[in-house]
Amino acid sequence: MIEVDEKELQWSNNLTIAALLKTLDNVEFCSVVRLNGRLVSSPKFKETIIPDNSKIQLLPLVAGG
Amino acid sequence: MGQINLKEMTAISYEKAEIEKGYTDQSLRINLDANDIIIKPIEEKIKDKFIGGKGYDLWLMWNAVSGDTKWNDPENAICISSGPLGGTPGYPGGGKSIVTSISPLTGIPIDSNVGGYFGPYKKFSGFDVLQVDGKAKEDTVILIDGIENRIKIFEAKNLPQDSYELSNSLTHHFDEDKPVNVSVVSAGPGAENTFFGCLNFSWWDAGRKRVRYKQAGRGGIGTVFADKKVKAIVARYAPISMKSNNPSDLDAMKLVTKTYAKEINELDPKQNRMALVGTTHIVPIMNDHDCLPVNNFKFGSHPKSKLIGEEAFELIFDKGFDGCWKGCAVACSHGVKDFSPFTGPYKGKKVFVDGPEYETVAGCGSNLGIFDAQTILEINFYCDAYGMDTISVGTSIGFVMECFENSQITTKHTNGMDLSFGNRFNTLEIIHQMAKGEGFGIIVGKGVRKMKEIFAKDFGADMAFMQDIGMESKGLEFSEYITKESLAQQGGYGLALKGPQHDEAWLIFLDMVHNFMPSFEDKAEALHWFPMFRTWFGLCGLCKLPWNDVVPEDNKDNPEPAKVVKHIGWYADFFSAITGKKTDSDGLIAMSEAVYNFQRVFNLKMGYGTREHDTIPYRAMGPVTEEEYESRQELYDTQLKEKYSMDISGMDTKKKTAVLREKREEQYELLTDAVYERRGWTKNGIPTVKTVKRLGIDFPEVLEILKKSGVE
Repeated sequence: MIEVDEKELQWSNNLTIAALLKTLDNVEFCSVVRLNGRLVSSPKFKETIIPDNSKIQLLPLVAGG
Repeated sequence: MGQINLKEMTAISYEKAEIEKGYTDQSLRINLDANDIIIKPIEEKIKDKFIGGKGYDLWLMWNAVSGDTKWNDPENAICISSGPLGGTPGYPGGGKSIVTSISPLTGIPIDSNVGGYFGPYKKFSGFDVLQVDGKAKEDTVILIDGIENRIKIFEAKNLPQDSYELSNSLTHHFDEDKPVNVSVVSAGPGAENTFFGCLNFSWWDAGRKRVRYKQAGRGGIGTVFADKKVKAIVARYAPISMKSNNPSDLDAMKLVTKTYAKEINELDPKQNRMALVGTTHIVPIMNDHDCLPVNNFKFGSHPKSKLIGEEAFELIFDKGFDGCWKGCAVACSHGVKDFSPFTGPYKGKKVFVDGPEYETVAGCGSNLGIFDAQTILEINFYCDAYGMDTISVGTSIGFVMECFENSQITTKHTNGMDLSFGNRFNTLEIIHQMAKGEGFGIIVGKGVRKMKEIFAKDFGADMAFMQDIGMESKGLEFSEYITKESLAQQGGYGLALKGPQHDEAWLIFLDMVHNFMPSFEDKAEALHWFPMFRTWFGLCGLCKLPWNDVVPEDNKDNPEPAKVVKHIGWYADFFSAITGKKTDSDGLIAMSEAVYNFQRVFNLKMGYGTREHDTIPYRAMGPVTEEEYESRQELYDTQLKEKYSMDISGMDTKKKTAVLREKREEQYELLTDAVYERRGWTKNGIPTVKTVKRLGIDFPEVLEILKKSGVE
């Protein structure tokens, strides 16, 4: 299992952030997530594998300084 | 340093105006030529049109200066206002001051939005806005004492030279028992000797029992301050409560304050964690999206950037409450205690560093090829203590370094200093030189635009190359984002009223990452709406960060998530509750649009404000050099082939760089056309008579200025 924004979801082998986002609604403005406390940006979504038992927070639209 | 010596030159007692619905309806003018203290009522029609904050500042400045006024003329004014909503404890970002003056860098009005307690203390002492003009003959300190209802002008001797010590000394001098009652505005030696001097606005950090400060950084207002021989302006006031603004509807104001603060307390830990890491979370995000300036904005990322991002600063920042306003839930003004500089007058001593924020990390770190948090802290500390804007410092030194590496300047010009990217010792040496007004630092302290002229005229450097890489527009140095792949943000910088600062519009992700605004019309709409809404914070005395750096959990379900519509509703509620004037989101935009266009006409009054001044260096649009092109060759090649349907098979890098440039420059001009049209301006970027009439700013002098520019 993984936790995405405090909701439990099924984990699967080799699940990437990009693949996870495809299963979620209204995430077109998600360009950064926090995966187990570390920031991961959209250019790395396809290559970042989510380990089992991960905690993921979807960060809001990046708004700059 | 002996005991500070303040000799009273002028003093008045005054009857404090009762605050009514966020306003005192009085202005305070200090004229330093004659040491005059003048209190005047603010007319209702001015209040209706200019709202407060930056609006009040601009109106007073408009009346203070002529079109011929230069930054160092006595009539140039420094205006400080907090706005009708400023000063509610616990309201997120609710304690800002907005400072304006004619900028030494640009020759037009500059505005800077800054934290600390000064703005609310000044207002609650009886004055919506402060205007300081004239020039003192000797070093001067001004005191606005809202506890004893006295205003005093002192001739000052034996003051500490730098802002770090000066803020501390004056805080204790004016209220030893309750330093929390004092806020000090001060500059420093760097403000005297450069064109990008900043102002430090202080507050007393009760938890750490020390003076802290935030900076009104942009455009050299500190330089104007120092030129007037003002060492400090001090506001003293107490007590502050939810009733201090005497709101029209106290219960409604309490409700929206509590609701907003509760949401931030709940969501910030799950989102950007600004209460923990400030704005340093932006560093890795910008790096990953190729938007972090590296080596004078040449590149957008660097493998070492993780050394200067949130992961590093989370460990370094001192833990504790870091709000630059009382009870602010965002509380992003972090600092580092017991830092020991390895250079300069504080070498080996332990100091507290207020910062760094993202802009300082990027500008004085990655943009200079420095990926060392300790050096960034030292640069941050000295820039603040000396009173210099870290953004202009970073962008200016980045320009120098690229010129040095390209042999446009050599050690012959830098007095033997190697100013290659990454040279942290010489970066610090330049900063010390700038503050002291010595050596090559004198030239660097004039900013990028003046350096280009000097390097070309005196050192024989290539002006065309420097125009391409010198990151300034209107004379102001760029803030710290790479805009090459976001046409909308190129407009966000180039079409901003005061110069390339991102507080008008930050559209990079909406445009570049999400392709939310594919057409010129879409971009123009964004470059209308966002600058107008963001202007509103400056009218009211608020900070922008709570609006869209912490967002409601259901924001993503809104059709316009970038606007954070729920928060806009809360801002309208807050405005209505305090002022008693019912408004909504359209009402907020309408308030801003009048002031925004007035500022554009003000630029015109000062001899600028037309299309030729809305240009940006090509480095902000695309790759200047072949090295830059090749660093993202796949991206650029694809654009040429797919977006512009070009056959590039026979082209070398030089040719491809040139054709890409032609296309991108053309795009910028088309964007400019679309934005001007949306804003109700002529093709030359001047508000039309119809526009100024619609906005109710068709004052005779405004119409006269338009007429002189051929707009009738």
